[in-house]
Amino acid sequence: MAAETPTPIPIINFKQQALQLLPDGASFDACLTCGLCSSGCPAAGIENMDPRKFIRMAMLGMNETLSTTPWIWCCTMCRRCQHVCPMSIDISQLVLLARSNWPNDRKPAGIVRSCTLIRSTDSTSAMGLPPEDFVFVVNDVLDEVRATQPAFAHLQAPIDKQGAHFFVNQNSREPMSEPDEMVPLWKILDLVGADWTYSSKGWAAENFCMFAGDEAAWYDVTRKRIEAVDDLGCSVWLNTECGHSYYALWNGINRFDLDVGFRLESLITYYARWIREGKLPVNSDWNRRAIKFTVQDPCMIVRKAYGESIAEDMRFVVRSLVGADNFIDMQPNRSANYCCGGGGGFLQAGMNEQRRSYGKRKFDQIQATGAAYVLTPCHNCHSQMEDLADAWHGDYHVVHFWTLICLSLGILGENERTYLGPDLLALLD
Amino acid sequence: MEPSTSRFSEPAHDTVETDVLIVGGGMTGAGIMRDLALRGIHSTLIDRRDLCAGASGGNHGLLHSGARYVSNDRESAVQCRRENVLLRRLARRCIEPTGGLFVAIDGDDPDFAAAFPQWCSVAGIACELVTPDEARRLEPHLSERIIAAYRVDDATVDPFRLALQHVAHAGSLTGSSYRPHSDLIAFDHDNDQLTSAICRDSRTGALLRIRARQFVNAGGAWAGRIAQLAGCPDVHLRYSKGTLLISHDRLTNHVVNRLRPPADGDILVPGGTVSVLGTTSLRIDDPDLAVPTVAEVDRNIAEGAMMLPVLATTRYLRAFSRVRPLLPAGDDGDDRHAVRGFALYDHQGDGLTNFCTITGGKLTTFRLMAQQAADLVAARLGNTTSGRTDTTPLPEDDSCRWTEPGAAPRYWHLAGNRDDMVLCECEMVPQSAIDEIVRCAPGAEEEMTLEAIALRSRAGKGPCQGSFCGIRIASYLYDRGHYRDRTGLQHMRDFFNERFKGMRTVIRGPQAAQMELAEALHCGVLGLDALDDEDDRDPLTQRLETGATDD
Amino acid sequence: MTKERRHVSCQLAVVGTGLAGFAAAVFAGNRALDTALTGNTGALAYTTGYLDLLGAMDGGGPPLDDPWQALQTLQATQPEHPLCRLSPASIHAAFTEFTSFLGSAGLNYSPPGRRNETVLTPVGTLKKTLCVPSTMAPGTTALTDKKPCLVVDFHGLKGFSARQVVANLGGSWPVLSAARLVFPGMEHGEIYPEVMARSLETAATRAHLAELLREVAGDVTTVGLPAILGIHRPDRVRAELEKLSGLRIFEIPTMPPAVPGIRLRELLEQVLPQRGTTLIPQQKIKTLSFEKDAVRLDLADNYGPIVIEAQAVILATGRFLSGGLAADPNGIREPLLDLPVSQPGSRADWFREGYTDRRGHPINRAGLSVDDSCRPLTAEGRPFDRRLFCAGIILANQDWIRSRCGAGVAIASAYRSVEQVRQLLGD
Ligand SMILES: Cc1cc2nc3c(=O)[nH]c(=O)nc-3n(C[C@H](O)[C@H](O)[C@H](O)COP(=O)(O)OP(=O)(O)OC[C@H]3O[C@@H](n4cnc5c(N)ncnc54)[C@H](O)[C@@H]3O)c2cc1C
Ligand SMILES: Cc1cc2nc3c(=O)[nH]c(=O)nc-3n(C[C@H](O)[C@H](O)[C@H](O)COP(=O)(O)OP(=O)(O)OC[C@H]3O[C@@H](n4cnc5c(N)ncnc54)[C@H](O)[C@@H]3O)c2cc1C
Ligand code: SF4
Ligand code: SF4
Repeated sequence: MAAETPTPIPIINFKQQALQLLPDGASFDACLTCGLCSSGCPAAGIENMDPRKFIRMAMLGMNETLSTTPWIWCCTMCRRCQHVCPMSIDISQLVLLARSNWPNDRKPAGIVRSCTLIRSTDSTSAMGLPPEDFVFVVNDVLDEVRATQPAFAHLQAPIDKQGAHFFVNQNSREPMSEPDEMVPLWKILDLVGADWTYSSKGWAAENFCMFAGDEAAWYDVTRKRIEAVDDLGCSVWLNTECGHSYYALWNGINRFDLDVGFRLESLITYYARWIREGKLPVNSDWNRRAIKFTVQDPCMIVRKAYGESIAEDMRFVVRSLVGADNFIDMQPNRSANYCCGGGGGFLQAGMNEQRRSYGKRKFDQIQATGAAYVLTPCHNCHSQMEDLADAWHGDYHVVHFWTLICLSLGILGENERTYLGPDLLALLD
Repeated sequence: MEPSTSRFSEPAHDTVETDVLIVGGGMTGAGIMRDLALRGIHSTLIDRRDLCAGASGGNHGLLHSGARYVSNDRESAVQCRRENVLLRRLARRCIEPTGGLFVAIDGDDPDFAAAFPQWCSVAGIACELVTPDEARRLEPHLSERIIAAYRVDDATVDPFRLALQHVAHAGSLTGSSYRPHSDLIAFDHDNDQLTSAICRDSRTGALLRIRARQFVNAGGAWAGRIAQLAGCPDVHLRYSKGTLLISHDRLTNHVVNRLRPPADGDILVPGGTVSVLGTTSLRIDDPDLAVPTVAEVDRNIAEGAMMLPVLATTRYLRAFSRVRPLLPAGDDGDDRHAVRGFALYDHQGDGLTNFCTITGGKLTTFRLMAQQAADLVAARLGNTTSGRTDTTPLPEDDSCRWTEPGAAPRYWHLAGNRDDMVLCECEMVPQSAIDEIVRCAPGAEEEMTLEAIALRSRAGKGPCQGSFCGIRIASYLYDRGHYRDRTGLQHMRDFFNERFKGMRTVIRGPQAAQMELAEALHCGVLGLDALDDEDDRDPLTQRLETGATDD
Repeated sequence: MTKERRHVSCQLAVVGTGLAGFAAAVFAGNRALDTALTGNTGALAYTTGYLDLLGAMDGGGPPLDDPWQALQTLQATQPEHPLCRLSPASIHAAFTEFTSFLGSAGLNYSPPGRRNETVLTPVGTLKKTLCVPSTMAPGTTALTDKKPCLVVDFHGLKGFSARQVVANLGGSWPVLSAARLVFPGMEHGEIYPEVMARSLETAATRAHLAELLREVAGDVTTVGLPAILGIHRPDRVRAELEKLSGLRIFEIPTMPPAVPGIRLRELLEQVLPQRGTTLIPQQKIKTLSFEKDAVRLDLADNYGPIVIEAQAVILATGRFLSGGLAADPNGIREPLLDLPVSQPGSRADWFREGYTDRRGHPINRAGLSVDDSCRPLTAEGRPFDRRLFCAGIILANQDWIRSRCGAGVAIASAYRSVEQVRQLLGD
């Protein structure tokens, strides 16, 4: 019989741990208590906590409070606080530590479930989609496209193709709930003549084990995915439009000091490259009504990983797609951007009120641009921003890059238009 | 003694009455106040600055087990041992039973270390041998070079809370009252009696006469001067300046003492969330001129780092100096070897029958000192109740709870009121604490200074040393109508100046960054360095002011 | 995993994103120098937004009305002062160029005038400055004209009290009153100016606040608010709020963490790359080495190592707060190149006894000594390297805090340095 009382949360000595986790000079005792971190943190105020308070409470020995505060599931570990801190103090390290310290039965069930599912099949899919189902869905959709879209009668979606250049991953949400959303990506890869493959193993993008603070599981998933790429002998692991999947693998490789024989790349970089090389001849002529677009920089690939270069690529792609005049940047942006509030597993944590309050800043940012569409290469950002539009009564839509690329190229199929608003749909008619 | 009428006797000032006037709001004075109240006697306690402004607010906060004195002052050692046990039981909330370690390091006199347990046992002090490895397990920051270690019953004490609670308890028992910033400047005599004392308000300059039947001088290092004012020339004190440092962090759980004859930088005492390192000892001539120097700071750090190498690199927030009043005794040049006992003067020999002086001693023995002084005063008043401080537990008073490190955020977090804004972010002191202090802490008054508020809380004690919270608390007090004119600005400036005295000699490393930020804000932006002349010098203001009279 | 090292090569590398570093990048950009810029958060983040040239003479004395005349005095009394490395005319040109750049990017400032302006501080004292953000300028006018005025603060915004401002200014500003509002959508808990400012970038919040302001203003037509009028387009936010409320509105700076510093940083970090500067934001240079063909700067961001190769370098790393100087127990150090630091004889002399001593603390005058071209000097008094220049408050022989010349030193020395770089690189 299951125990009635939840497992107690062990108490961490944060000050002591910080000595080990934080580098000299950027450790807690360098903190000026200036508050820039809290001022810039969307989670400030939730559960009566903010990054500066977290630091001070650690210093004041309030280990019990910090070990048990649910705020650690509201901090998305976006590292914006570190970004603006004159001393570069990284609070997210301790938040991750606190997360890992919670017994599984106390952690937000959604995150734990996703991590468990990831480990339940060779797919590493957070939705538990087994390899054979993935293969079935891909082939099924492919058959349908070949049959119904004559221009793409030749379309390929290779699986387990040995020696392919690109190993392409996929967020489980597509094969699981909106399979047609995979098609634009296939079309793009087809158009540029990419030598690519899916894998039946380790194909899934998402990695909630990292957010759960489950180091062992995170390692396990990382290893599985590396093996999958190595098995097929691919040279590039091409990360799909998903933020944390990139970060979890890239950071996992660094953290666990793993050796890999392939490169990790983001699809965004390749979109930009293919456009520059003329392989993706997109233009903005279609945007006759000067519909405005903005772009969301996912923390996981911009601030926390690539930095400015990918932010620049993203803007280059958007400008090419919608016209420079129709692109309006959010403020702040690039490495200084706010987390959407869906990251760090927040979307899965079941803390909706807190998550929406966090996301209010993102919502205001979007509203301030006046844009009708937000483009983002991240599924978490995507879902969160859609939810925010609902919760705070916004009138924008959120779209994937692949949708807009295909739209611009005039090859967006009927079933691939889920995320378009009436104005864009009208343009297509 | 000549019946003198002081030059302050014209009735130009207010007069208050009390049974006993106690001069000096250190731990001794506060202790006497409570002791008398427990015997049903009303008293008034005054301090020229505020509670614990003297040695009581500037010491290590070590509640001695007595072990420190076993080698050279057995009487003190035994007194400490007894008081330590009593206070742990009776003033629980003010004391942290940390335990203490005595450690010798390579190069220290091995004979001293060897004799130590024997000395302890003669003084009845518990002392347990621990291996160097064990010591390092207990305190990971201890040096690799430890050769011997003993564990004793040292504890730490929060003198501010202790004093506040004494005053609060006395107030609740007999309505005894406490008056800060009341500088005693003269006595009125009538034959063998003092009749009243004249105090000057050190903020406004206003004079106050306090009539009393009995007068107690608990002036610590200033006791000699106060006795002089009463016409008693025989309280001879020597002044030994000690300098202490406060680190940003608590570095050990135990008190750590160097196992050698007392010398510089040989004690590290945890104090809530920080550690206190000290001390040096330097003879000075004037107890008002005790300021820390860079040389003393460096000396403490160098010596302390022998026991705990981390002391060389840790961030320090403050250094301060206070004076130990030493009673005349054998003179071997080192004041640390002077007798640490205390003395009670009844001044009978000076022809006075209602004046006494109590000075010397230690924080640890304040209760005993207070008891002996109160015994004399009670007897002189014909009160036959015996002292009860050795059996009566010290009650809690809510308004005194804010001095405990780490307590404010606990209360605040527990209450979970989002609108109770945290004003001091370093120590997490919320608005509600300020409200409570301003309303009812001992010594609370209408236009309370930021220093007075800080003394009754942890505000200003963290890494920013008040540079941010001073501004936030002041603006809050303006909001609440406590300040209605530029007084708040002056209080802000005075507070920052006061905090700076403690920072001056330890500004290095990250503290230099903190200081630059503070000074840029206080002087560069707010112009607090030019406050006095802003009004008369600023041509625009002048223009505006002349303009204003036109309307 | 091996990390690719990324290379940037440029004519000029600017180290530091304080006012000096940013100004240097602006001047360099205007002179078509190919420039790379790096730096972390520093002193600039805490500024009021006022650009001071010279507000007082070192060592006390009355606040200065005429900074230009004071510069001449400074020439005579302190020729080593960084503001004396160039003519007042050049300094004027530098301020003009920098503020017009900010203006063209959407953050308008009053142009440098003949006299200092008198401006408000967060606690209701007054301060002298040269250039005022246009969101704050109406406050100065209202003060001079003694316009009846309402100062508004907000529930939950700590450290800014309208009653305080009024209490401290009331003597010289007869019809001044205070009111407290609840900021739209932020009814509970503590709120930061940055958050309010971002919220005011949306039309909905502006409309809501305008209504609240109209209600509370009564007969008064001028309203002072804490600095919250947007981060990104403050002038527009103010204009719209004024239109909606029918009130004259101005900002009063607040204590840190405040909006003006964030505004400047975000704006410059956004606009400079658009105008060709290579920006590596929020990172510090780890090592700097002078090789034969180029100066090599090594740093790393989250992604991995980066190397910058430049023909010239401007060091604008600020003081202790920003890490340009380090206060070691046995002396002040310049951590990047270990350049000699001019400083007081011993640590005991760093500070005076009194914190607010009008004469300032000797440590404030410590820093790098330079030649007339703003080149840091070796112990022997020779330029450390002909390709190395230095700008900003890291420079010795100035106490910007006491003489209220932070922006002045930063902008003027950046201007001088860039001119010298241009000469070195031969246009
Ligand atoms: C550096 C140092 C470290 C120490 N460490 C320890 C320790 O770890 N443990 C321990 O047990 N003891 C320690 N002591 C000793 C201990 O601090 C003192 O013995 C004790 O605090 C004395 O208390 P007091 O009330 O007698 O004197 P004080 O606390 O000095 O009080 C005297 C008060 O009289 C006031 N006063 C003076 N003149 C006037 C006047 N004219 N009118 C009105 N008021 C006046 C002063 O403002 C002051 O507040 C230390 C002492 C020093 C100096
Ligand atoms: C509280 C406060 C209020 C102020 N108010 C005003 C005001 O009202 N008016 C006014 O004129 N001025 C004001 N100032 C001053 C103004 O901000 C400074 O004068 C100005 O920013 C100094 O410019 P700086 O660029 O020389 O130094 P800083 O602003 O300190 O910038 C130094 C830069 O160097 C960077 N850096 C350091 N080391 C490295 C490295 N190794 N690699 C790369 N980068 C590095 C830092 O990250 C930082 O970006 C204020 C300052 C403060 C602190
Ligand atoms: S920004 Fe950095 S220095 Fe400032 S309070 Fe936050 S952690 Fe401390
Ligand atoms: S990591 Fe992001 S959410 Fe977490 S404290 Fe820092 S800024 Fe806030």
